[in-house]
Amino acid sequence: MTDNTAAVAAKAPAAKGGGKGLTIAIGACAVLAVLGIILWVVQLSGGMVQTAMRNLDSWGLYITMFMFFVGLSAGGLIISSVPKAFGIKGFGGISKIAVMTSIACTVGAIAFVVVDLGQPVRLWELFAYSNLGSPLMWDIIVLGTYLILSCVYLWAMLQHERGKVSATALRVISVIALVVAVLVHTVTAWIFGLQQSHEMWHTALLGPWFVSSALVCGTGLVMVVALALRATGYLKLDQAYLVKLAKLLGAFLLVDLYFFGCDLLTEAFPAAGGVAIVEMLTSGPLAPFFWGEIVLSVLAAVICFVPSLRTNPLMALAGVAAILAILCKRVQLLVGGFQVPNIEWPAIMTPSTITNWQGNLEQAYQGMVYWPAPIEFGVTLGVLGLVALIFLLGIKMLPLKPAPGEDE
Amino acid sequence: MTHYGFVIDSKSCISCHSCAVACKVENNLPDSIWWNRILTDGGPNMDTPAGTYPNLTIRNIPMGCQHCENPACVKVCPVGATYQDPETGVVRQDYDKCIGCRMCMSACPYTGVRSFNWEEPQYAIGQPMGSLDIPQHQKQVVEKCTMCWHRLAQGEKPACIEPCPARIRFWGDFDDPSSEVSQLIREREYMQLLPEQGTRPSVYYLV
Repeated sequence: MTDNTAAVAAKAPAAKGGGKGLTIAIGACAVLAVLGIILWVVQLSGGMVQTAMRNLDSWGLYITMFMFFVGLSAGGLIISSVPKAFGIKGFGGISKIAVMTSIACTVGAIAFVVVDLGQPVRLWELFAYSNLGSPLMWDIIVLGTYLILSCVYLWAMLQHERGKVSATALRVISVIALVVAVLVHTVTAWIFGLQQSHEMWHTALLGPWFVSSALVCGTGLVMVVALALRATGYLKLDQAYLVKLAKLLGAFLLVDLYFFGCDLLTEAFPAAGGVAIVEMLTSGPLAPFFWGEIVLSVLAAVICFVPSLRTNPLMALAGVAAILAILCKRVQLLVGGFQVPNIEWPAIMTPSTITNWQGNLEQAYQGMVYWPAPIEFGVTLGVLGLVALIFLLGIKMLPLKPAPGEDE
Repeated sequence: MTHYGFVIDSKSCISCHSCAVACKVENNLPDSIWWNRILTDGGPNMDTPAGTYPNLTIRNIPMGCQHCENPACVKVCPVGATYQDPETGVVRQDYDKCIGCRMCMSACPYTGVRSFNWEEPQYAIGQPMGSLDIPQHQKQVVEKCTMCWHRLAQGEKPACIEPCPARIRFWGDFDDPSSEVSQLIREREYMQLLPEQGTRPSVYYLV
């Protein structure tokens, strides 16, 4: 308790300018989160017919964002646990803040699954009637473990600073956290990748690919957050650490693009069913997201690798570009999975069949088969508010600043 | 053991939709929900042929849940709301258990056989129709063909069999070699939908 007060007192001078701004930001995020909850209640009471999801495109923005936020949660935990687990030099004093981003993003990922459910009051059944053979069940278990572990890890780091948790114990926790972090991305990929019914998803590469995409957007997020917090004076961070982060981000981007290339070639080469997937991505309805991902990834990688470009604003741009690139990837995966149906024979069309149901099936698949309805954007914004709220509350209430002289 | 399933002589289907309507009435299906639909293998619209006159082709495929022996939906349901009846092989759905995650809809390769009640079920007619023994439809859960489980329990055939004016729908036990369906697939040429998916559907189409 006294330590806590001391930490707060220590941070007060530095945060003088940001103190009020932080409170306002917390308030704004809370308002957003509450609005999101109201919209969610509207969605449930009026029915999910208000969303754009339909029988032939039965998942939408929420599951896209679920994938995306699972990925975002990676960076923080991995950035701070890898150096500890392997006993190598880390990234300065940002490890606690990095883990805080992981916690906030994991809560966001769980929230996105919850708002997607038709019967959220039956959530308890997941624990009462668990079908342990379902990849979705695996993910719920791993994601829950991951959230708890991230909190334990943050707590252990804070206790370690007070000399209450030994370095060995911290190292053990960081190793476990790292393993679970890799698992959480792989298992999330399996929700999609183990379905033989969607050619685009059904590839063994999806697991490792989710890990690499998670590393890209997660590292991007940590970089942006670190730059922002340094700009507000919340923490001091040597430029060398940011450059190191940028180089790491560049490497992750290349791995991710490499997987992308491997997957595209494997889909296209037999000149069979996979060609439809490649055409949908490169020149079809999902082309903006396909080329968006590639352009943003290359842009971010160039900034990360060219020393003279590694200025603060450009590094922030690289971080944002990396995050958006992976968001584009998530849209491709989610919508793309539904864009190419197994059975295209026309039948009766009703408002429940597909988003654009008024014409025939061919017309429904002409553009993107799914585009979110306003209420989905609203609920999503609410969850984003919740994520930011959790992070900012962490910044305000927890002693997340680097310990004096902390250099890992 | 019993293995219930359908044989449909798709060569003779005239796309009259009688089976689809019988299903809709018997199961009191809400508006815009069809568990059994007649697919047109032909032109871009329902009941239109492919090609140009006089070289036209059309084939009608009535399609509902395929009651697969290796169902993709059952494996992925996190709470076991969709499950395979061990006695009959029928793939069943428990509305009370369904959490509405729609994992089964995504996993099922047979596009569109599973439907979700996107809103509170509404009915064109103010009073319930069909059987009194069917479970109440619920908002925001997944549903699909039950093979008329309530009728099977009373020793009757599914509701889609008898209304067919061309008598092309057959239902029975594939494990009984003397059953009509077993004989049909022994003697006639047949196809199954998406065999490459490995789901081993219990619906055979005579060709």
